[in-house]
Amino acid sequence: MSVRSSATASVRRVATLAAATARPTTERDRERRRIAIMCLPFFALATVAGFVPLAMLVRISLAEETVWIEGWSLEAWRTLATTAEYRWVAWNTLWFVGLATLVSVALGVAVSHVLEKYELPFERAVVAAVSFPIALPGIIVAYLIIVLLGRQGLVTNAIAVATGQSALDLASATAITGLFLGYVYSLLPRATMVLRGTYAEVNVQAEEAARALGASRWQTFYHVTFPEIRPGIVAAAILTFRSGLAIFGTVLILQSHRVLTLQIHDEISVGSYDPDIAAAIGLVYVAFIVAVTFVGLRFIENEAVEI
Amino acid sequence: MTENTDSTGETIDGSNVNGESNGAQNERCGPNATDESKADRDTLAGAARGGPRPDGGTATAAASGEWSRSETAYSTLFGRPILVGVVSIVVAFLTLPVVVTVVSSFAQSATGVVPQGFVTLEHWRQVLGFGDYGVRSNALPGLAFSLAIATGGMVLNVVIGVPVAYALTRYDFVARDVVNTIAILPLVPGLILGIAFVQTYPEHGRSAVGLIAGYCLLKSPYMVLTVQSSFQSMDLVRLEESARSLGASWPRTFLTIVVPHAKRGIVAGAIITWTLAAAEFNFTYMVASGSPDPFAIFLYRNISNATYLQSAAAVSVYFLIVVAAILVLQVIGNSGFTTTRQR
Repeated sequence: MSVRSSATASVRRVATLAAATARPTTERDRERRRIAIMCLPFFALATVAGFVPLAMLVRISLAEETVWIEGWSLEAWRTLATTAEYRWVAWNTLWFVGLATLVSVALGVAVSHVLEKYELPFERAVVAAVSFPIALPGIIVAYLIIVLLGRQGLVTNAIAVATGQSALDLASATAITGLFLGYVYSLLPRATMVLRGTYAEVNVQAEEAARALGASRWQTFYHVTFPEIRPGIVAAAILTFRSGLAIFGTVLILQSHRVLTLQIHDEISVGSYDPDIAAAIGLVYVAFIVAVTFVGLRFIENEAVEI
Repeated sequence: MTENTDSTGETIDGSNVNGESNGAQNERCGPNATDESKADRDTLAGAARGGPRPDGGTATAAASGEWSRSETAYSTLFGRPILVGVVSIVVAFLTLPVVVTVVSSFAQSATGVVPQGFVTLEHWRQVLGFGDYGVRSNALPGLAFSLAIATGGMVLNVVIGVPVAYALTRYDFVARDVVNTIAILPLVPGLILGIAFVQTYPEHGRSAVGLIAGYCLLKSPYMVLTVQSSFQSMDLVRLEESARSLGASWPRTFLTIVVPHAKRGIVAGAIITWTLAAAEFNFTYMVASGSPDPFAIFLYRNISNATYLQSAAAVSVYFLIVVAAILVLQVIGNSGFTTTRQR
């Protein structure tokens, strides 16, 4: 009884709020209507292009018959839970992307530190160099790795000439190291972008005080700068990790490590067409990304989050 | 701002330390300056360890013991060369393959350490569809199609991104944090969105409209963030109140006062979203149906099925687009592909 009446009360409250928003009488109502109007276009698109397709994905993963999407079955989820191969792919993805994130964020801290603290001769050029790879899609990154480390690659050939070995044996673009460098190539600029924003807000006076009091550069960094940039590092790590999980083009070309995106692609390829399993993997993957993001954002209060 | 005590830290002597730290202490802890530099150092170090810091950062437990003099520290001697070395390697790693790609797209052969036989436009001709053979007979329709779709996505992004960025910056409301997170973080990766899209809208998902909607949603965070940072740098409340008090209605205030003030942010966001959408691959690969092939699929075919030098030319076509975009961004004051405004 009480549950029912309170439910009725909240429905009525929501209805009143909606009515007041639609036909405002006070300034507060008008402001609420403005907020609603401003957010509406975005959410209309997000619903049509994002939420509805995601709901469809749920439906596909539960469908018994996957071509016409009819009937209900938990088969795809059961396969996903019991097959060892999928656990192996998940583990592959996690350690690989985790390691790439670690390297990218560490290098990003170094790059941001140098750009912020030191006077460099070609600073604008360096900024451009570390920011433009954000615009490159994964397939182009894969090609650039082939340019460096492929059979006709620059580094490969240089080492081959220097050591007298065959370039074919040295080529590592399609080895796991090549793919790893491809991931770092994509992720490092993203990490750097977030960290540069953080570095711009570091309190220089505190650092100068520490230096004037006799702290070495490392001590100043470790005790003064590092605590200040820690939220930025967490934000950079979350965003880099998310971006790393979503990389597909690079791994599609180089094919040297079985990660989640490649697995999803294979599940819906001709020959092994399992859209229900692909949908289930995709849902686990989206849920994981959302969870990582929200859990990670718990650890940082400021708005250091950017793409 | 960027001088981080390069010279003072190394050549400082005792009296100098005393004088400087007295000044710092007067600022922070009030007038209780002591004469001895050692006591002075202790009090400040203690203040840095405990208690809330004036800059709002969190104070962590400092290492036990006194901070040593800086002349003997290795980090002072080697820190900078090592860091500059690391950054040089990073910059070389990021730029070298791009330069090699562009240069070798004009070369005649790629056997040997460096490409040889300059200058030929043969590969560019083939890639752009004027040659006798090639992966595709003609890339220009695909390129034009992709650019048109990217433009559509960009326009749609302005329409949806600017209002939501304004609402998030100007107003404080209940679900603001949630809306903010949804708006600035692309929660669904392009690959999965592509799969879901085709299944949900079997008739229109593969059309140009579907591609525009997908590109728009995938790239909207860049627009929202750029415009947001533009809004944050101006006094929105005052601007709006002045206009309203002078008799402008609210829609008129928004459209003729607020939006024009954020023009630079909107243009920067538009260029970024446009460039990113022009070569979006993951979503396109799942959704596109061919005829004409979008640019991303053209790149994919050229990278996976063409000769090394022809791929170089195809990739260089996209580099040209990116360079053009960056130049325009530089002109309007953004330095490169960042959503934050540079000082």
